[in-house]
Amino acid sequence: MNNNSAFAAIHPMVLLLYFIGEIVITMFSSDPVVLLCSFVGSVLLFAMLSSLKQFLSDLAFYLPMLVLIAVINPLFSHNGVTPLFFMNGNAVTLEAILYGFDISLMLISVVYWCKCFSIVMTTDKFLYLFGRAVPKLSLVLSMALRFIPLFRRKLKEFRAVQGAVGLYSQKGFVNKIASELKVFSALIGWALENSADTANSMKARGYGLKGRTHFSLFKFRVGDIIFLIFSAVFFVVTTAGIAVGLTDFYFYPRVAKLCFDSLKTAVYSAFFVLSVMPFVVQLREVVVWKYSVSKI
Amino acid sequence: MKKDIMAIFAVVIIVIVLIMGTDFQTVEEYYLTHTEDITDDSKTVFMTIECKTILDNMEQLEPNLEEFVPENGVILKRTEYVLREGDTAFDMLERVTKSNKISMEYSGSDSNQYGTAYIEGINYLYEFSCGELSGWMYSVNGEFPRYGCSAYKLKDGDEIVWSYTCDLGRDVGCEWEGTYE
Repeated sequence: MNNNSAFAAIHPMVLLLYFIGEIVITMFSSDPVVLLCSFVGSVLLFAMLSSLKQFLSDLAFYLPMLVLIAVINPLFSHNGVTPLFFMNGNAVTLEAILYGFDISLMLISVVYWCKCFSIVMTTDKFLYLFGRAVPKLSLVLSMALRFIPLFRRKLKEFRAVQGAVGLYSQKGFVNKIASELKVFSALIGWALENSADTANSMKARGYGLKGRTHFSLFKFRVGDIIFLIFSAVFFVVTTAGIAVGLTDFYFYPRVAKLCFDSLKTAVYSAFFVLSVMPFVVQLREVVVWKYSVSKI
Repeated sequence: MKKDIMAIFAVVIIVIVLIMGTDFQTVEEYYLTHTEDITDDSKTVFMTIECKTILDNMEQLEPNLEEFVPENGVILKRTEYVLREGDTAFDMLERVTKSNKISMEYSGSDSNQYGTAYIEGINYLYEFSCGELSGWMYSVNGEFPRYGCSAYKLKDGDEIVWSYTCDLGRDVGCEWEGTYE
């Protein structure tokens, strides 16, 4: 994981605000252009933050999922003026499929933003932001955020242990599932115990007491303020456009026409810039680094 | 390995059953519905589908649905159709909308507690499309039955009106004995 990137070096407060703004806009719009901007921005950022192998394996998982959600939607929604064929007397319509694509684009963009969030917002940043104000909640949240990667590591460990004892059968799919279930139950038991341990340990160290300092300290730098101002401006432009109804879009019963008049284009481009800003910050650093290396 | 083969076999069987149990039709096949010609001795009913109440509540209608509301509010003008033995109001609606190529969506009798079909939308006008009290209702000979359309057996000469209400039926003349908030 790349925690020392230029984007991750931005002040945690700015990062948090940025992610909240971006994810909220993505979640509450149905306009395909807005969602596409968000999708592109999140995927590009994730490509910069993760290794190439990780990026490709994730893409291989999420692109089929995108298609799957799009194909499942017509099973539940039969509205739309363009029936393609009928299944058990219910129409499978073009509109439902397009709407499925739209929704899955939104879901996957949000997932990607959250993935980037979890890479960039490490536990110490989280505790720095909320440790004072809501110590209990922030500890629980930071533990919860940390649990998934931790689970993965522990899962591998348990699998190895069970294999060494001779209880993990690799033969056959059904046997594998049974072994995996055993490992999983061990994992849950361990997780419960571990979280109680962590809480006790934090208490013993005086977490949440008055006057306690943080592990990591962050300062507002000029770059942070510039990033904050830029993202605030683009966020306000986009939300104003959404509030006025410029990005209202509907799929049923007839898909609305995409149009790019000057006002809409302004909103779209503002949101596009907002979405790719982290990527640009990252890219700039890579370019500067390459350039400096070549000068040496 | 034996277990694996069994598992694959089970999955294949499930998929086959699902595909066999699904009836695929092209658009032409679906709308190719036979309605009998009226002869002297055939039993008939009259059916009307209208959404006049929307005309008075245009400001509540979702803006993209305006093109689907006819100017006089009548989607299907009063027409005589042959009644088949044992037809319910729902069977009749389904046959009539199919033969007139009017879109109709319903949720089946197994998906609600009343055990009868519920008409969600006709001609792309759905429940809640025109305010939160809107939806489709049916009346037979001027009276609104107190049960679902797939439980209502029709008889010769019945007059069925499917009407869209924007006010829980009060604006299409459905009077309930009970009171509601």
